[in-house]
Amino acid sequence: MSKIKISRRGLLGAAGAASAVSLFAGPWQHNRVWAQGAAKPLRIGITADASGMYANSGASDKRGMAMAIAEANERGGVLGRKVEFVHIDTETTAATGSRVAERMISREQCGFLVGAVHSGVANAISQVAQKYGVVYINTNSSSPTEAGQNCHRVKFVFDGNGTNFAKAAVKSAIERFGPDWMLLTNDYVWGHDTAAATKTLLKEYGGKVMEEVLIPQGTRDFTSALLKVQQRKPGVISAAIGGDDQKAMRQQVVQLKMGDKPAWINSQQDWDDVYGLPIETLFGVFGTTWYYRLDLPGVADFVKRYQAMYPETAMRSPGNVFYNGYMAIRELLGAVERAGTTNNIAVIKALEGHRISARDRMQHFDASIDAQTHQVQQTIYLATANKAPKEKDDIFEVLSQAKAEDVRDTDSAKLCKLEPYEQTPTFDA
Amino acid sequence: MIDLLPHIINGLTLGLLFALIALGFTLIVGVMEVINLAHGSLFAIGAYFALTVIAGSWFAGTPFGAWWLSLPLGLRYVLALALGPALAGLAGMLLELCLRPTYGKPPLYGLLLTFGAALVIEELIRLVWGTGEQNLALPQAINGAFLLNGMIFSTYRFFAAGFSIAAIIAVWLFLERTSAGAVIKAGAHDSEMVRALGYDLARLRLVVFGFGAALAGLAGVVMVPIWGLRPHVGVDIVIPAFLIIVIGGVGSFWGAVIAALLVGLAIGITGAYAAAWSTMSMYLLLIAILGFRSRGLLGRKSALEN
Repeated sequence: MSKIKISRRGLLGAAGAASAVSLFAGPWQHNRVWAQGAAKPLRIGITADASGMYANSGASDKRGMAMAIAEANERGGVLGRKVEFVHIDTETTAATGSRVAERMISREQCGFLVGAVHSGVANAISQVAQKYGVVYINTNSSSPTEAGQNCHRVKFVFDGNGTNFAKAAVKSAIERFGPDWMLLTNDYVWGHDTAAATKTLLKEYGGKVMEEVLIPQGTRDFTSALLKVQQRKPGVISAAIGGDDQKAMRQQVVQLKMGDKPAWINSQQDWDDVYGLPIETLFGVFGTTWYYRLDLPGVADFVKRYQAMYPETAMRSPGNVFYNGYMAIRELLGAVERAGTTNNIAVIKALEGHRISARDRMQHFDASIDAQTHQVQQTIYLATANKAPKEKDDIFEVLSQAKAEDVRDTDSAKLCKLEPYEQTPTFDA
Repeated sequence: MIDLLPHIINGLTLGLLFALIALGFTLIVGVMEVINLAHGSLFAIGAYFALTVIAGSWFAGTPFGAWWLSLPLGLRYVLALALGPALAGLAGMLLELCLRPTYGKPPLYGLLLTFGAALVIEELIRLVWGTGEQNLALPQAINGAFLLNGMIFSTYRFFAAGFSIAAIIAVWLFLERTSAGAVIKAGAHDSEMVRALGYDLARLRLVVFGFGAALAGLAGVVMVPIWGLRPHVGVDIVIPAFLIIVIGGVGSFWGAVIAALLVGLAIGITGAYAAAWSTMSMYLLLIAILGFRSRGLLGRKSALEN
């Protein structure tokens, strides 16, 4: 496996130089189609965030992809070709994501793009990927827009989204904690769309939104919002707060002793966002797509492989973000093998509608890649803090698992308009 | 009004914490005439050293580490309050030594050097302490919450605000009532005159930079239990600190304090009633104040205004 790392400063310098060259040479006129050859490595561009509010998740995402690539190479590669990757930091900003995607396709000879946590970044990358026809796997973004109005023929979404998680949680939470809800919403696409899905479900099941408080990205002090919650006295708070913002919020909620009452529903809880935090900060019920102690075939071996490959990593157990990164690469390479070619249209067709057994995904129920939205429909778990951990990392207690069909995001299907095949440029990796 | 009062209190406590950060910044700008873009990074250094002292992470797994963690958390916290700022002060002095070749050159040199220092410090933090979010454990006595007027408030937040008031008064007394403070103030007005009077200007700059950095480090230790600790926390904090010294009037002690309280109030109140504008509110405050008073609230009149 070869690893090529490019720092963000290096990228800035290179981007400047590239701009100067492009002024001289003129813009590229058409897609580059790389020459085929059995010995030519298959290059994957990893677009994981390495700085910004999702830096930790981005690091896990990348580790998951690297492990899947290493395992593929141990098996002899894909279609007889060694798999390489290049990683460039998207800095958790959409503009950098666009530049990274352009560079990976135009200059780094990447045949596939994989990665992203921030939905805005993923959307930016996917627009570039669609322009070139390069297959792009969005590993860890959870905004319903990713497989809804921002869907693309070349893009596949591997994480559960806000609608999936809300469907798993809202109805039972209304029954248990009452109809009066307050929403704390991160003020960007994922937060808004997750909140919108929650509102729709509240309306459907007889709940009501007392107030929605928008939380700007990068907020560190949540006291104003929490005082507001204390004034309004809702039965339930539904929080769609991500990354570092959520860590800060959780600690402040605990400081104010507001973790137990009102009830908290966090649409999704990424492992990286709570790993290492005190257990009392894990209040409320939250969604996830995977847990390292699921009592299912393959899980224990997967964890062992992770620990063997990353002995120095502070995060000693893999989480859902790592899992999604790993599964995304595995399914992408599997699709290339099924297609028998790296031609983008053939790979897209091999991914569309593909069913994955529960055993293969180390989840409770079978999953499938929705041919209409390109989102992986999968088991959604609800969890809470584990008050009786079996080991140090055993911080989640899985409360329930929902079948993909029961939490399917039907709204995205109405909004997603995939580009026709003939309007998607041909690309061969 | 009953609903508004908790948010006013919240805003004022936040403002006091901002004041603590801005004081060191404004001292350095006043005396050195250098806008220290690494001020937030010195804040982060203080906080990370405090983390090391409290969590004993560097000695984990050793007999010394076990002994260290057996010490009461309150004692480790007090040691962190002393050692975090002290080490941030030393880092600040080191930075001042690096700045010396830029004195007398266009301000851009100093600006670029401190910006570079901020990047270096952030990367060093990633290498030494890792990229993850960390939190400072707090002694039970200052943790938790209490009820006031039927509203719940964080005990630590009030402790931090009280601590900030004490620190602000101590700094003010130092500047106003001691001969060393008088020299620093004189240096802020006319550093060449201070040199002409026989004071070692190089040493004065070194001490002031170290003192300002120690204040930043102190603010880091006090504030991160509220803000959380991550490698880029310094970048997060330097922007409000910069806005505060501009709003208050560059180099003005009480200007910085008043501006910090106003910024805290703006963030606190908009956070409750128009949360999407809470970050923007400090910029709007800056525009509003500079619109009618270009040198800031208590800034000195510039030669250009004569």
